Amino acid sequence: MSESNARMIRVRDRWTIRLHWFNATCWLVLVASGLGIISGDSLRLAPAFWPTLLQGLFGGNANLVLFHALIGTLWAVGIALFALLRWRTVVLPFLRSVLVLTPAAAMRDAWAMTLTLAHLFGLMKDRPVPPQGRYNGAQRLLGTLIILASLVIAVSGGYLFLGPGLFDFAADASFGALFRWALLLHAAAVFLVLIGLVAHIYFAVVEERESLESMKSGYASVAFIKHHNPLWYEELKRSGKV
Amino acid sequence: MTKRYVMLADITRCINCKACVVACRAEWETPLGFSRDWVREVESVSDDGMPRVDLFPGRCQHCDDAPCVEACPSGAAWKREDGIVLVDDALCSGCELCVPVCPYEARWLNPETGTVSKCTFCQPRIDEGLAPACVQTCVGGALRFGDANDPESEVSRLLQEKAWLQLTTDEVPGGTSHYYHTGGRELPAVVLPKPIAQQLQGKLLGEVVNPLAKVGIGGMVAAFFAAGVKKVIDRRNALGSGKEHSHE
Repeated sequence: MSESNARMIRVRDRWTIRLHWFNATCWLVLVASGLGIISGDSLRLAPAFWPTLLQGLFGGNANLVLFHALIGTLWAVGIALFALLRWRTVVLPFLRSVLVLTPAAAMRDAWAMTLTLAHLFGLMKDRPVPPQGRYNGAQRLLGTLIILASLVIAVSGGYLFLGPGLFDFAADASFGALFRWALLLHAAAVFLVLIGLVAHIYFAVVEERESLESMKSGYASVAFIKHHNPLWYEELKRSGKV
Repeated sequence: MTKRYVMLADITRCINCKACVVACRAEWETPLGFSRDWVREVESVSDDGMPRVDLFPGRCQHCDDAPCVEACPSGAAWKREDGIVLVDDALCSGCELCVPVCPYEARWLNPETGTVSKCTFCQPRIDEGLAPACVQTCVGGALRFGDANDPESEVSRLLQEKAWLQLTTDEVPGGTSHYYHTGGRELPAVVLPKPIAQQLQGKLLGEVVNPLAKVGIGGMVAAFFAAGVKKVIDRRNALGSGKEHSHE
């Protein structure tokens, strides 16, 4: 490896790294507590022991709901604050490179993701993954999903917690119907993200340890970028950063 | 031994005075137009051609496998060990997921509290050793309440002495904590439970979203576990061939 390829360059700042781990920790706590709140046998996803255990630990479901709502608020406010303070420098460039907004882009990313997944199992090895930018197809699709799902989760969660206190459900049946739709969307959005997170965690922990390291240190090697994100490497080269 | 509270309604003794309804509404200060119990009048024609009215005092039947408990997202609807199905007002959002699943139409959204109301067998009263308000005021002695697990109780004796029916059908099976003595007559169809009807959102969550989530998350974990195993095997094979190569 040449000296320039072995060189580490800063790819994200400390606050972005902190936001990532803050987000991950909140998700862990919120998913665990959320699965413990849903109690009815016909509605819950977790095994019956989980709500029983958690509600017992918290001294009742009212406390667990309050805890979930507090952490949820912390999560939403934390991310909103970050977006506000780093809109121009971090958030907008991130959205520009990660959001999949057109059907053509979605098809392109889906194809890149299919090839990446197929290669994991030794399939379609003769078809290389097309050159990827800062975020590859799977990351862009997952990123877009997480951004949209997070908005749904935050809005529906806010209504689930505050709606019964703010609106008179007995006066207008649509408030209750909205609550039930919010519950459904809240759960569906979380489950969708969880499905994607399995792949996200696998790639970070098993396949590409350097990407996990870069989410801790903020640095990635030029060789890693050149290998995985050649279009981004070209951009960095054009701007004189490598 | 754990108590098993039951309500017995001997319809041959009911005189339709509705003292039970008045007592319940006074006890629970239910809003105008709402009541936790009722007396249903069922008109029919007797075998001798004479008109007949049967009176069915009704309320939450405190089902053994209560569909309202299963349908409640927050655990606000819950069943105590002694068989009483209760509502925890602090947890109830008033979302009404439990309302249409009740086969006895015993649950309603209270416009004053914003939470779901229903008969609780007057739980605060019975915990103090009193009879439910409806039983206390039943002038005909049609309603009886007590612990069916206590062989010395009045309800245990009555359960043995008379024939009792429960409001269940093939569609809504399972026992309840409420019994009816009809004097040998069949239960009329109008008092039988209606089929359990889930709210659309509850149905979608329980029958579409949750199963898909289980398959999706489970499938992803299984697939990536397999990918991890393959990676380990490939690495071992690569190391093995490297070792063989180095021996040559």
